[in-house]
Order: sequence, then structure tokens, then C-alpha cells
Amino acid sequence: MDCKKAERFLLRSLDGGLDHENRAMLQAHLENCPSCRKKDSEYRKILSLVRPQTVPEPLPYFKERLLAKLKEKDRTAPALFWVKWAHRAVALSLAAFLLFGAAILFFRPQEPREVSQTERFLLQDENPLGEAASILDQKKAEDRNMMLIFASVGDRDLSRRYRP
Amino acid sequence: MDEKELIRRSQAGDGEAFGVLVERYKGKVFSLAYGFTRDRVAADDLAQEVFIKAYVSLSKFQAKSEFGTWLYRVAVNHIKDYLRKNKRRMKEIPLEEAGDRVLASSDLGPEEQHLREGEREIVQAALARLPEKYRVILTLRDIDGLSYEDISGILKLSPGTVDSRLHRARRKLREKLTGRLIRQGGEHGL
Repeated sequence: MDCKKAERFLLRSLDGGLDHENRAMLQAHLENCPSCRKKDSEYRKILSLVRPQTVPEPLPYFKERLLAKLKEKDRTAPALFWVKWAHRAVALSLAAFLLFGAAILFFRPQEPREVSQTERFLLQDENPLGEAASILDQKKAEDRNMMLIFASVGDRDLSRRYRP
Repeated sequence: MDEKELIRRSQAGDGEAFGVLVERYKGKVFSLAYGFTRDRVAADDLAQEVFIKAYVSLSKFQAKSEFGTWLYRVAVNHIKDYLRKNKRRMKEIPLEEAGDRVLASSDLGPEEQHLREGEREIVQAALARLPEKYRVILTLRDIDGLSYEDISGILKLSPGTVDSRLHRARRKLREKLTGRLIRQGGEHGL
């Protein structure tokens, strides 16, 4: 038996949980091992010291004091109940207010954004480059200029654009 | 009166019936609290708080375990909270100084008793420095003398875990005390 196993047996023997055979093995080891013998006496000494020599009685009128406290608790319990619920109500209202505020911030309706002319063309399935090309293709400078003016004005209605 | 009947009546709000239960268990609960605090007043306060807690949560007791085991569980949990809250205060006396007060005193009676008291104080100081789980199991087993089965029920641990944790706790306590009691205890020391 090695010292590690002996310590395990030794600790078990403190609770009387060691069978006859193992106790004999431990005893044989202790006879030949001064270090484990020392450990054995240390554990036994600690065990005897860890228990208080005497345990005093509770202070006088233990039960009477306790029952008086319980009576007081029962008497104040309804008031405490309402106080508890009042606290909860305040906390819940605050939480609801915060949630409402957060919901407004997150879900507020957004202003429709002004779309650029190019985007508008794309949305209307028109090709902005096509229009630019058609303007530049104009042979007459006057027509080209007029078309450019109308295009820059940004008239949304394409039918109202100048077309020569 | 039968304990089950007392519990049933207490659950219905009968203070007198609960008073009988208090009379039956006050010694055990107080002794458990004293094992942790070594202070009569603090142990008394703790025991009162444990019974108040038990009375308030008595409706949750469903007789799946013994009333005593359930009450011990309430007590251990309450005392653990107390120890956590008072951790700093409980460690006020350094281990190196523990025992000096008693050992240095000259008017406490026979010398042997002096040494013994000093040693007890040292062991108590070392115990207070152990991690909570070791302190609890050592108190339940080595101070209160509860069986493995009872400890297993109170702490909701398997008997194997109780066994290994208890042995580890004893090893840790011995490690903390090695060297300390030799100096203080002389030939009676470790």
C-alpha cells in the first residue's frame, strides 16, 4: 500500500467506514511509515479540536421572541403586499414607457426621399443614357439646347418634355 | 402531536403548531449556526431568521423529504448567504494571530486548558478560511455529526460526492494547519 492510498483509508477510518480487511492493511502500513503515522495523529487531533467544547443554549425565550416576530410579520404582511405591488407597478410602468419610446424611435414613419432624375428614369424603366444620346444626336443646336434646358429643369412628366 | 399534523396545521397558519416544531428543532438549528459563527448572539439571530424563512416558505414543503432535512437545507442556505455577506468580517483575525489571545493570557485556568483553547481558536480560524463548500461539509459532518445520508439529502449531493468532498475538505484544513499548531501547541501540537 502506498502513502496516497493509506491517506484515503485513513480519512475513511475517521468515519468508521473502513472494513476489517482494509483496516488491517492500513494498520500494517502505519506501523512501517512514520510519515503516515504523523498524518494519522494530525487528522485525529484536528477532528477533536474542530468541535466546540460546549455548545451553548439559544438565548432565553427563543420561541416566544420568534412567535412575536411572526405575528408582527403576519400583521404587516398585507401592507407589505401592497408596497411590493406598488414597487412592481412603478417598475412595470417605467419599462412600458421605455419600450414605447424605443418603439417610436425605431418604427417612426420616414419622410419619402426625393429621387434623382436618373433614379426616376430607372424606376420608370427608361434609359437615361438613351435620352442623353438622343439629345446629343440632335443636329440642330437650337433643338439640342432646348432639350437640354427641359431635361435640366427636371420635369417629372416625360410627355411634357420638349421633343423636336 | 404527530409531526405531519403539526406541519399541516402550521401550513394553515397555526402559530401554536409551528411553535411546537420550533421547540423540537431550535437546538439543532442553533447548534448548526453556532458551528459556523462560534458566537452565541449571532447564532441566535441566524436561528431566528432560519425559522422565519421556514415559516414563510412552509407552503412549499411537500413532504418529499423529512421535515428536519428540509429545515436543515433552509438553514444551510441561509447561513451560506450570511457567510458570503460577512466574508470580510469573519476573516478579521489573521490565522497567524489566532490563538495568541488565549495562549498569552495567564488567568484562564490550568495550562493545558489554555493550550487547548488556543488550538481550538487556530483550528476555527483555519476553518473560516476554507472555501465555503468545504466549510459547510466539515461543519455538517465533523461538528454537527450528521450522517453521510443526511448530508447527501441536505446538500442534494450523491453520497460519493459527499465522501470525496469531505475528504478533500479535511486535507485542505490539515494543510492550512500544518506548521501552525506545532508552534502553538508544543508537545501537544501537530
